[in-house]
Amino acid sequence: MYGRRASQLLRELASCEDGQLTVFNNDIFEQVIRECNEHNLQLQSLIRKIEDANLDIQTTRNADHFGAVIHHLSLSRNKRCLMGYIYNRAELIQSLRWKIGPVLPQEIQEKLSYSEEEYFKNHSTALESYISDLDLDLTVDMVPPKDPYIRVKVLDDIGEVCLGDHAISLIQHSLHFIRRTDAEPFISQGLMEEFIE
Amino acid sequence: MAGQSNPHLSIFSAAEVEFLAEDELIEIVPNMRMDALNMICGDFGPFLPQIATKVPLWLAVALKKRGKCSVRPPEWMSVDRLTLVLEAERESPREFQPLPFHYVEMSKLLFDHAPEDIPDIYMVRSLIEDIRDVRFHKVETGLETISGRTHAVKLKNLSAMEVNIVRPFMVRALQAFYTHDSPEMIQQPESAVNRRPQVVDRGPRRDLRPR
Amino acid sequence: MVKPSNDAVIGLGAAIQRVKEMESPGRSGVRGQSEEEEAMAAMDVASDVVLLKKVWRNEKAAPEVLHFEAGLIQRAREQIQLLEETVEELIEIRSDDIVVSLYQMDLDRALFLLRSYLRIRLQKIEKHMLHIYRTHLWNRLSEQEQRFAKRCLDIMEGHLERSVLSRLPYGYQSMLKQSISSEEDDMVPQTQLDTFIFCKAKEQYWSFPVG
Repeated sequence: MYGRRASQLLRELASCEDGQLTVFNNDIFEQVIRECNEHNLQLQSLIRKIEDANLDIQTTRNADHFGAVIHHLSLSRNKRCLMGYIYNRAELIQSLRWKIGPVLPQEIQEKLSYSEEEYFKNHSTALESYISDLDLDLTVDMVPPKDPYIRVKVLDDIGEVCLGDHAISLIQHSLHFIRRTDAEPFISQGLMEEFIE
Repeated sequence: MAGQSNPHLSIFSAAEVEFLAEDELIEIVPNMRMDALNMICGDFGPFLPQIATKVPLWLAVALKKRGKCSVRPPEWMSVDRLTLVLEAERESPREFQPLPFHYVEMSKLLFDHAPEDIPDIYMVRSLIEDIRDVRFHKVETGLETISGRTHAVKLKNLSAMEVNIVRPFMVRALQAFYTHDSPEMIQQPESAVNRRPQVVDRGPRRDLRPR
Repeated sequence: MVKPSNDAVIGLGAAIQRVKEMESPGRSGVRGQSEEEEAMAAMDVASDVVLLKKVWRNEKAAPEVLHFEAGLIQRAREQIQLLEETVEELIEIRSDDIVVSLYQMDLDRALFLLRSYLRIRLQKIEKHMLHIYRTHLWNRLSEQEQRFAKRCLDIMEGHLERSVLSRLPYGYQSMLKQSISSEEDDMVPQTQLDTFIFCKAKEQYWSFPVG
């Protein structure tokens, strides 16, 4: 059936979890490109047939005409699918710049086609030059700010630590009011928790 | 190509709604002396011991965390007031009682950071939870009345968090009704062959005023 | 206790747009300047962050990119820079920790609004660059945003060209048209404007045309 392969590409996009990228489906993509060119050959030969029969190409409504229309519509549909596939993936790829940064990890890079890798690099550069134009980094501060200091409860004896320019002793069950950035490593290790009455 | 705009783009995150709520003014009673603060968000203070003054909620919480003030809970946050509100919410199944736009976030912030300043906190907390539940139930039953004929829904006194939670569902539901009810979707154009292949269906469009 | 400003209405984008036009002063003049805006104009420095919060909310809630608020952004950045300098001075003279951290928080809040505002716009531009480039929306961008959009567009075009268009038969190689026989540009993804949005009435409107 015409157009079935191309729709597989879109189904692949649709079945993907939000924001997730699949490996570029080179196999099907190439098949669809080939299909497009075959449609065009058929289309051209049908048009020639109409012309050879000395019929008016604009008004003729015979089997050849309808055959040509079907090839034209199939080709257009394939094109929309191919463009949709590339365009939607490109949108996902450019969002990675915000989520991950200017360098993609190997396992993501492996999922991209060559042109997609180029696209990511070029798009990142464009974003960076906008940011430097602006003289304001937009890739930080993604969530609303909170008090830079938090109250924490020490869950396990940590001992004497140097925070900023003074040392404090972090004994189990003690409460402290310290910089959020200082507390975060301890919190992620499970040694502290944010204390809320 | 897909022409749909990202439905998630226009939604405020819970943290963002809280951020907005933190600008609501609230009264504090400082226990220290401090010069006035000339901030981007406004001028506050001077701060004098035992002299009440109004500051944004974020500032109140910051001072409270540092042990520099006590917070005066807003008038509506009393057992008497909230009991009345809850009764009224229960009695009128279609209407919402007027509460501050950010009542959910404001009360959460105060419960978390200034619990000792709220008289009858357990009662107040459970009243607010009940009010929230009753109101949410109303929102849900209200959603069931949406139909294809709905062009607009009026939700008087709905709060920020409530709007934010129902927004994605409501917009998608109304959109779906709108699309499926439109005559263009129902009538199949019989002149399909003569028309150019126009498969990209952007749905019904009505003319917007030029801007 | 009843405040009309607590009304949330969800309605068609187009209808809401009409009201927005009515609300904005100096454009249609239907209602003149609203009291809130007058009050804001009367306030001094503080009003800019209130305005910034307003444009941030509007930009976040609107499906399409809105006018770049050049003057406001300029003023906000100046105020931020001024406060940054003040904070540095305060640290140098070893001012009270608490004062420094309060100013820092004020600064962080303003910076977040500014960054988030510019970011939302950027994301809209990234999503609908082609549509924006080809319509009146283009004039809503700042010069810097226009430069960015143009560059993005070239990059996207190159990518589509390499991956798809150059490999299709003659007559099907346009980025804008499905084929040579398309009379109009039928492949431009655009913002879905004809949708439903939430809005909050600032004052009483007796009737409001929708649908």
